[in-house]
Amino acid sequence: MNWQVKRAIAYFAEQPRLSAQHVEGDLIRIEVEDQPDVLAVISAANEIDAATAASYQEKHPEIDFLCGYRKTCVWPGDTIAHLQRARIGWGSAGTLTSAALDGKANTASHKSYVFADRLLRQYGRVQEVSREYDRIYRIKLRSGTVIRIGMIDDYEPNADAVRSLWDDFGPVDIVWNINPNGSPSPEAVDAGTELGCEVMKWEELKERLRTA
Amino acid sequence: MTAGEIAAHLLASCGSLEQFDAYMFGSTLRGIGQDVDILVVGPRGGALFQLKRELRVAGEFLPLHILYMLPSEERRTNFIRTENCVPLGRVAATLSQVLKTEGL
Repeated sequence: MNWQVKRAIAYFAEQPRLSAQHVEGDLIRIEVEDQPDVLAVISAANEIDAATAASYQEKHPEIDFLCGYRKTCVWPGDTIAHLQRARIGWGSAGTLTSAALDGKANTASHKSYVFADRLLRQYGRVQEVSREYDRIYRIKLRSGTVIRIGMIDDYEPNADAVRSLWDDFGPVDIVWNINPNGSPSPEAVDAGTELGCEVMKWEELKERLRTA
Repeated sequence: MTAGEIAAHLLASCGSLEQFDAYMFGSTLRGIGQDVDILVVGPRGGALFQLKRELRVAGEFLPLHILYMLPSEERRTNFIRTENCVPLGRVAATLSQVLKTEGL
């Protein structure tokens, strides 16, 4: 059994109302009290591209959820679009846990980003939303302005989180700290200034989108 | 792998850790949890870049979740104390002590 499958089964065993068994390869079955079973692939990849997602789907057509076990796992936009079209949920082990308990594994998206995604799409000044990665968006405002936004879910993003986002995904105009609690460290704000972007919370972003 | 084994593995695999203060925190210290939380405190620059490369290789079969902090960030948040972070060397020493006690 792969290391991530072993860890995932041990992790689910710690969760109330859940139990998990290995099926084959990276595939596990999660049994949930009062909800349907969930078939999930547990991947150890640092990034799950669309071809990998499609090959999992081909190998296990019945899967409900594709789980990137590493918290740092990156999901490109075309992978997300593919999985959503195929009605396969995607995200972290935490996302899988919540989704299995709610009986919504097939439609779940990574819980770190789901509310931020909704906020952007529902904000009236936003005309088009293009999701490049799970945490990187290019949006076009009704004014015609295009803004590239990177999201960080940390409670208090630090300078390294801002620099790593920039290094890993390229330049952004805004780093949005999407965690509803906490706020970016002064060093994170300074790092953004040095790089050429602003680091902010939703209230500031909303104002920025309103006036841009 | 136990917390002690993970700490010993990281210290043995990542020579650049000598230039930083590294800690383990969170549920792995209690033998449970989804991932392995590591705190690295030190300056940015070439040594940090090298350390990240080493940790990426060392973490091939581990769900490492690594928080990199500047010393000023750690001082302001008092993260080590509030999160009960334990130096990696001490976590690894616990393993050595266990092995010695068991005569291994």
